[in-house]
Amino acid sequence: MHELYIAECILKSVADSLPPGMNPQAVEEVRVQLGKLDAVVPDTLTFLFDAIKTNGGMPNARLALSEIEVVCRCENCENEFGIEVPVFLCPSCGSGNVKVLRGRGITLTGIQVKDENGEDDGNSGNS
Amino acid sequence: MEIPVIRDVLEESNARAEENRKLFDRHGVFVVNMMSSPGAGKTTLLQKSIPLLQARGRKCAVIEGDITSTLDSEKLSPLGIPVVQANTEPFGGDCHIGSHLVQAALPHFDLANTDILFIENIGNLVCPAEFYLGEDRKVVVLSITEGEDKPLKYPLMFRECQLCLLSKMDLAPHLDVNVDQIKENIRRTNAQLEVIPVSARTGVGIEEWVEWLAKSRST
Ligand SMILES: [Zn+2]
Repeated sequence: MHELYIAECILKSVADSLPPGMNPQAVEEVRVQLGKLDAVVPDTLTFLFDAIKTNGGMPNARLALSEIEVVCRCENCENEFGIEVPVFLCPSCGSGNVKVLRGRGITLTGIQVKDENGEDDGNSGNS
Repeated sequence: MEIPVIRDVLEESNARAEENRKLFDRHGVFVVNMMSSPGAGKTTLLQKSIPLLQARGRKCAVIEGDITSTLDSEKLSPLGIPVVQANTEPFGGDCHIGSHLVQAALPHFDLANTDILFIENIGNLVCPAEFYLGEDRKVVVLSITEGEDKPLKYPLMFRECQLCLLSKMDLAPHLDVNVDQIKENIRRTNAQLEVIPVSARTGVGIEEWVEWLAKSRST
């Protein structure tokens, strides 16, 4: 279950991205893009993130995941196409010389932290 | 307040892999990350192929990934090569070898005296495919007993690898499995993936696999 390791990596990435001196407890939302090809189960990742976030010093953090569809380019005819099922053949010319352009990789894309004036107090849970 | 950031979540993992890569380059070690389902026959294939590599004067070593036991390491001990067990317990009996585990294992090897290092990953077709360890080649071992649909179910694994060893070919006459269909599903998932049918029992394909290693090492 690589989701546990990935949850740890996400917490580490967030910690490394906070401005110096900022308390990680201020983190309210962590936005992460998941490539569909990465075989990461979003529900499992969210569950494990919630399970370890307090240990990571971010008890108020909510993980917001978005999935990135797989898009390929045929190196034979330069056709670009998305795939729904894992068949990496060009629908236009049938070539298997296909490069994955998008849909692979796990990216931290944004962190929402509580405003200094504290106006977000008390509603750091679901939105 | 929004903190804008674009950051690869695995950057630290990849950075360690790059450190491994530099070390391998410095010592001229060719590194093969071998992945498969549990029981596909990775260890037995190594048992059969390492003596052929030794006969060619190649010094081999193995990082053995095993969640709980040292059985696979014991199987390799008669070959008289360095084998280091990678302990995955820090991650709860985890599913893959990470670049940090490879890094931790490397001081146990005499890299200057190693030509080929095999990383025998944890038996799992999902997780190991995700992580770069600093290897030269990724190889998936798929046994024909696993059925026809595995490439389509685990596309990342078959996309990431450069070679598929189709193992346990000796069982083909006894199984209700369509080997051509397995090959076709591999082609649909990754038409560039080379396939070598092998059997550790009969020795079919083992020379070809050893030749593939020799050829890959020189490119
Ligand atoms: Zn095409």
